[in-house]
Amino acid sequence: MGVEREKIDWKPTIDYSKCDYCMECVKFCPHKVFEVNENEEIKLIVRNPSNCVVFCRACSKTCGPDAISFPDKNATTQRIKEIRKEESID
Amino acid sequence: MIESYAILPCNGLDKCAGAISREIAIKLCENAGNEMICPVFYRVAETKYNKIAGEHPLLVIDGCPTRCASKLAAEKSLKISKRITITEEAKSHNIKLSSGLRLQENENTLVELVLYELENAHDNAAVVSIESNTSYHFDYESFQNGKFIFRVPGNPQIYFNENDCWAYVIGNRARIGVTDFVQQNLSDILYFTPPEIGAEIDQFGEVGEIESSKSVFELISPVTGKVISVNKTLEQKPELINENPYESGWVAEIELTDFESDKELLIGFDKYFEIIKKKVEDLNG
Repeated sequence: MGVEREKIDWKPTIDYSKCDYCMECVKFCPHKVFEVNENEEIKLIVRNPSNCVVFCRACSKTCGPDAISFPDKNATTQRIKEIRKEESID
Repeated sequence: MIESYAILPCNGLDKCAGAISREIAIKLCENAGNEMICPVFYRVAETKYNKIAGEHPLLVIDGCPTRCASKLAAEKSLKISKRITITEEAKSHNIKLSSGLRLQENENTLVELVLYELENAHDNAAVVSIESNTSYHFDYESFQNGKFIFRVPGNPQIYFNENDCWAYVIGNRARIGVTDFVQQNLSDILYFTPPEIGAEIDQFGEVGEIESSKSVFELISPVTGKVISVNKTLEQKPELINENPYESGWVAEIELTDFESDKELLIGFDKYFEIIKKKVEDLNG
């Protein structure tokens, strides 16, 4: 993208009111974005947001209860272009 | 519904969407010609159902995106001819499903709508696919990791996104598809969901799905525009994506609307070749 990954706000957000901890997302994602903590009350967290591939939404497609959401794609695209522009001026 | 199907429903007793898939399957099987495959019994006694699946095209009815029925089909090496997912149908019809397992008014409405659409599926093929007559040439470079060979075309007209999709741009059109990285990772591709002809797609928007027994891959469009053609052959032969994801396994053609802007966030051969090598190394440790 020509922009440092940390500057791009793209990561899954878990709606804990819907999540049933089936862990399909964890099994699916090869990038270790999620972390399972079996002994905690909240058993699943987004541990490594920067590992998430920008514009990939595939884990949400595996989510039966539709508990995973992502930022708005067009707003993210726009923001990346703005950052590139700002950095080229600097 | 033109064909008589072998119907493999989710039959889930976990969510309302499962109960709906079961109801739709029962109603379809009340019509002559359609045959039910019970997903529970199939796991322990497959002979009967393998015969049915061998005699009819397979309609899979998944309840939710966990896609248990599709996964069962993949496990049994069944080729899926048509698939619907109840939660997606509910979304597209703007119907909110209840959390209970009993079908109420909304759920019954959805059952009727889905049945109607399946019965009339042959009427919905009105939009014509316009495939270009352009000839495409590919000059590949490749590298090997273990027994796997990864090819990447080096033609300057071909652009990539970091989501492993390519666009071969000629004039105001682009042919798009996935790279060798995707097909090698998915292994045997069993099902292709094409984008709709005429759909307006944003750059990085979804432009179809491919699925293997291992995983589902959402194609992320490298370009913005209108879908003017899809590779219909893939619906019957999704394995062409494994055979050659750049040529016979192309996915769709897009009439471009803002390629100058799209190009800002795309990469060429040199950069993508580096990225794919790193991804392969990372995956294999």
